[in-house]
Amino acid sequence: MRISRVFRIIFRIFILLLTLSITVVAFLGGLSAVMILQETDNIGIDTDDAEFNLDYDLLTGFHGGNFTLPFNITNAGYFDLENLEFSLSISLNYSHIDYPVPGSNETRNVIVFDKSENFGNIPKGQTGFFIFTAVSSDFIAVNFPNPLDVNYLRGPPIFEFYANITLSLDYSLGMHQLALSIINLLIGELP
Amino acid sequence: MGSVKNMVRGSIFTAIYVVTTIVIPLATFTLLFDLVVQGLPLDFEQQDYNNIVFWIVAFGLLISGNAFITFSSPKQSIRRAIFALIQVFVNCLYLWSYKFSGAAVLSFIIVDFGVMTLNVQQMILMYMGLYFLTIILKVYDIFDFTINRKKIRENRMKE
Repeated sequence: MRISRVFRIIFRIFILLLTLSITVVAFLGGLSAVMILQETDNIGIDTDDAEFNLDYDLLTGFHGGNFTLPFNITNAGYFDLENLEFSLSISLNYSHIDYPVPGSNETRNVIVFDKSENFGNIPKGQTGFFIFTAVSSDFIAVNFPNPLDVNYLRGPPIFEFYANITLSLDYSLGMHQLALSIINLLIGELP
Repeated sequence: MGSVKNMVRGSIFTAIYVVTTIVIPLATFTLLFDLVVQGLPLDFEQQDYNNIVFWIVAFGLLISGNAFITFSSPKQSIRRAIFALIQVFVNCLYLWSYKFSGAAVLSFIIVDFGVMTLNVQQMILMYMGLYFLTIILKVYDIFDFTINRKKIRENRMKE
């Protein structure tokens, strides 16, 4: 056999091994994602133990707030689950009075909270229990409406709070990135 | 007799490429679209599915047709080396089609729950890296087959 062919065979075997290992990891990663998602107990957001406190006065506006939201994830797959991130965005719906043009009130939607937190990795076969917490400084205080601009005749409720929750994670060396989102979930009303 | 053998080999590899580039990806996507997440079924835009199917079948057929020409060519021939290189480029386009057809970032609506997004762009980039190594190998083949053409022909005659 020519020497050039020997070199080629070695290089070819190297590429073949690389392809096979990536394919196996990709396949098992995909299968793991399916295993995690299909079982209803693997992802749990404990709304019963969640606490949401908002100090908003109808005369003076926003003063502060805090909340905690426990959740758990079971890594039922073949590899470690990496880069687990929990994002929460809360928007507020209210009827805005437009003073220069009386009578043209409109419903406005403002984002009053937007935070992402990285909870790291979960080794394979283990369950991670986490608590997503927020304090007053995490709220976007400037986005809360001026109480004088709120149309109180609209309600009740005058204010509606909607949450967008996103849980994202990386799997199999980042080859699979998975995100689960709950969109426009009504979490509270005032009064 | 040699040409018949080459044709049979070409047909076998065409069948292999039809299975790996069309049948397996389509079966995977069909299974994915039938997935149940957190006990809830998935919903998706029919247009997205049609788009993905179109590009997979289009490039899959192109790869399979090219595979026939490549593998039915005599071993260590310049023709084979050139078509093998074209084959790798078409494979790259096939992978790239996953990106622009929307198959690399799949979004599903989970009925009464929310949205699920599966991003496999990183995986596609990994395979692109592998194809880059394969391109080096195929270019090497073209040079090798051209430089050693006389020797290859002599060996072929002996067989």
